[in-house]
Amino acid sequence: MVLLQVIVGGLLLGAIYALFSSGLTLIWGMMNFINFAHGEFVMLGMYVALLAVLYLGGGVIGFGAAAALVLFLLGIVIYLALIRHVLRGPMLSQILSTFGLALLLRYSAFYIFSANFVSLPQTSLAGTLKVGGIFLPVAQLVAGAVAVALTLALHFLLTRTNVGSRLLAVAEDRSAAMLMGIRPDRMQALAWGLSAGAAGIAGALMATAYPWSPSVGETFGLIAFVTVALGGFGSVLGSLYAGLIIGLIEAISAFWLGAIYKDIVVYGLFVALLWFRPQGLMGKA
Amino acid sequence: MLLEAQGVTKAFGDFWAVAGADLAVEEGEIVGLIGPNGAGKSTFFNCLAGDMQPTSGRILFNGVDVTRASPEAHARAGIGRTFQVPATFEDMSVLDNVTVGAFLRHPQRNDAREHARRIVEMTGLRPEQAGRSLGTPGRKRLGIARVLATEPRLLLLDEALAGLTPRELQEAIALVRRIHESGVTIVIVEHIMEVIMTLTRRVLVFNQGRVIASGTPEEVVRDDAVIEAYLGRGARSHSRASGNP
Amino acid sequence: MKYFLSPRVGVCVLAALLLLFPIVFSDAFYRDIGVTFLLAAISASAWNIVGGYAGQVSVGHSMFFGLGAYTPLLFYTLWGWPPLAGVPIGMLLAIGLAVVIGMPTFRLTGHYFSMATIAVAELIRIFTGTWSLVGGAIGLQGPAVARGWWDLTFRSELPYYYIFLAVLAVVLLTTAAVERRRFGFYLQAIKASERAARSLGVPVRLTKLNALALSAAFTSAAGSLYVIKTGFIDPDSAFGILISVQMLIVAALGGAGTLFGPLIGALILVPLQTAANTWFGGGGSGLTFIIYGGIIVLIARFEPGGLCDLWRRFATRIWRRAHAA
Repeated sequence: MVLLQVIVGGLLLGAIYALFSSGLTLIWGMMNFINFAHGEFVMLGMYVALLAVLYLGGGVIGFGAAAALVLFLLGIVIYLALIRHVLRGPMLSQILSTFGLALLLRYSAFYIFSANFVSLPQTSLAGTLKVGGIFLPVAQLVAGAVAVALTLALHFLLTRTNVGSRLLAVAEDRSAAMLMGIRPDRMQALAWGLSAGAAGIAGALMATAYPWSPSVGETFGLIAFVTVALGGFGSVLGSLYAGLIIGLIEAISAFWLGAIYKDIVVYGLFVALLWFRPQGLMGKA
Repeated sequence: MLLEAQGVTKAFGDFWAVAGADLAVEEGEIVGLIGPNGAGKSTFFNCLAGDMQPTSGRILFNGVDVTRASPEAHARAGIGRTFQVPATFEDMSVLDNVTVGAFLRHPQRNDAREHARRIVEMTGLRPEQAGRSLGTPGRKRLGIARVLATEPRLLLLDEALAGLTPRELQEAIALVRRIHESGVTIVIVEHIMEVIMTLTRRVLVFNQGRVIASGTPEEVVRDDAVIEAYLGRGARSHSRASGNP
Repeated sequence: MKYFLSPRVGVCVLAALLLLFPIVFSDAFYRDIGVTFLLAAISASAWNIVGGYAGQVSVGHSMFFGLGAYTPLLFYTLWGWPPLAGVPIGMLLAIGLAVVIGMPTFRLTGHYFSMATIAVAELIRIFTGTWSLVGGAIGLQGPAVARGWWDLTFRSELPYYYIFLAVLAVVLLTTAAVERRRFGFYLQAIKASERAARSLGVPVRLTKLNALALSAAFTSAAGSLYVIKTGFIDPDSAFGILISVQMLIVAALGGAGTLFGPLIGALILVPLQTAANTWFGGGGSGLTFIIYGGIIVLIARFEPGGLCDLWRRFATRIWRRAHAA
């Protein structure tokens, strides 16, 4: 029964991993670009949610939307001011740009919010459900469910809508897309907005159920790498499965080996993946 | 036979870019590969250079199977190639660019330098000029110089002469001829018929991943299948009437 | 005028200044800055071989630094070996780790290598903190009092300064030799275009692997120097992200892929950092990171060639103007 509790808890957290990792994989798939600051986007989403609750009030939907919107705009601004200019530059600039951004955002958050752990004040999602002998905090349940729904929504946006096919056209062949009247710059800015927005809302969802500090961004960034590596670079659906698997592995290894070993297991998995199946478990060779 | 490709195919998913191509080149020959855009010339070419691995078929160089060998192994074996878009080493000078190639057969710096300098002289480039400051003709020329420095027995030229002015083109044709006369066998992919007509004795025409015709340039341009491939159906009767393909 | 600007004279002047610095500034405070500067320059020059010349950007070089820092103290703690004896073993371990990381990732694009380096560095840092043999989160201590000169435990900064300077000279001379040889030409070619390099017969994977191994060995030596001077090590000061960031930023600021770039970067950054710590209080490491992050973003956006490249463009312009007049 305890194990079942652990499994369900892991899957619910894994759903949130899936949501923010889908943002990372979107950028990788579209422009072959790794965003080292992606975890920091999640962390910022958490603080935006906190500020929204403290100063604006409103329910879960309110602060979730606030986090998504703020991060969406931040993503676009970062693309226009920074990423656009380094995309055609040397590899060094590409990696330095988001790596420096990660440091800037992470330690600015330390400076502003201090290193202490915080959590959202009591929301309407307080309380636990007892289902079949296991306890489910309502907040975790809602966050997990919403995260799965949003990840699927992003998948459908990319595969079934007009905007999605324009995004993918730019990813396939930039110059051909331009001939079709698509403006690649706009599409890539949109992709950055969606990517950061997904991270932001994932952060807000996570904030409803778990406490955090500015340093979580680093951990989430690495978890996003692992998830994307497992799910295959560029695949949103792949990162959904992979996110759930990572959440599960993390919860079980924390349960059996102890909490400090869960990161070792997950990062070890990443290194093993890069060694044996760099195209991802679900990716094609 | 210096180079022999037998039944080479290359598939990308469901699409067969090369669907069973044969090619045999004798030492000392200069062979042209032509065909409309998207005919599979470049893919076939990349298979010959080791940049892509064929889905099936065999490629023999000097009797040795090189079908699955890496690009660097191709270079070591004596197969050199240029790129359609010459990937110049931007931060290096012309001489340094060529020296990279020269190091393949001359591991010592001074020997490599000397060899590179001779080749730069032969191609008429300025050794100290920065790679990034070269224009298109200079880059194409540098691409040829760089690969020449690896002392290839077989040189694969991928549209090395496209985008040049008439004068530059004449110079480039003269350069290719000099290289050929120095004993290098050449396979050349080119759109410009003038190049093919003046340089080659034997031409293979590609269409839809296959060799549809071969022969002397004069024979090939009169071939019905070739005219159809280039100009589409219905062009045949028209060109015959005018007597000029 | 031109004579004074020639590189050879510049190098001689620089060497003389570095040799004389601790004698002119005999205050312990300045000597300590000098030692910190040398360590930063050594580490960044080591990073530069693979990150700058080969263009394979490691963001987890602390793993090699940490190996070099831990190994001497581990052997001292276990068997009482002088720390110096652990240095070559640390370098060998670093080379081994370099091969383990390079083998799979160098088949792929550079992004994979960067991701792998940050993940492995974190993995090792967390793992070290849980492993009691190497002292867990507390770390390891070196000899408190020298048992002999071979323990290299000195009260004064001066011996450390000259040891570090000698190692820096070795790293820079090696880099200069690499630059001139086939190996160096191949690295630059790989950085510019792997596909073109391959077509010219460059064994791309092996060359990148060699660069990483050489870089790892030197970085490990830097870690050993650090620990020989400080006498203790813990997971964060060995494998922490700040260590990797320092190497990256020092090299990129001065000019990644140039011989003296890392030296120039350290010359600017280390005094700045000392000043910042004095102004904002010692514990202001958060602010240091914010500033570092900002500098890194600005370099990436505006000057990927670093200060060396900026200076070269500036000098060329002045030169042209002088000749036009």
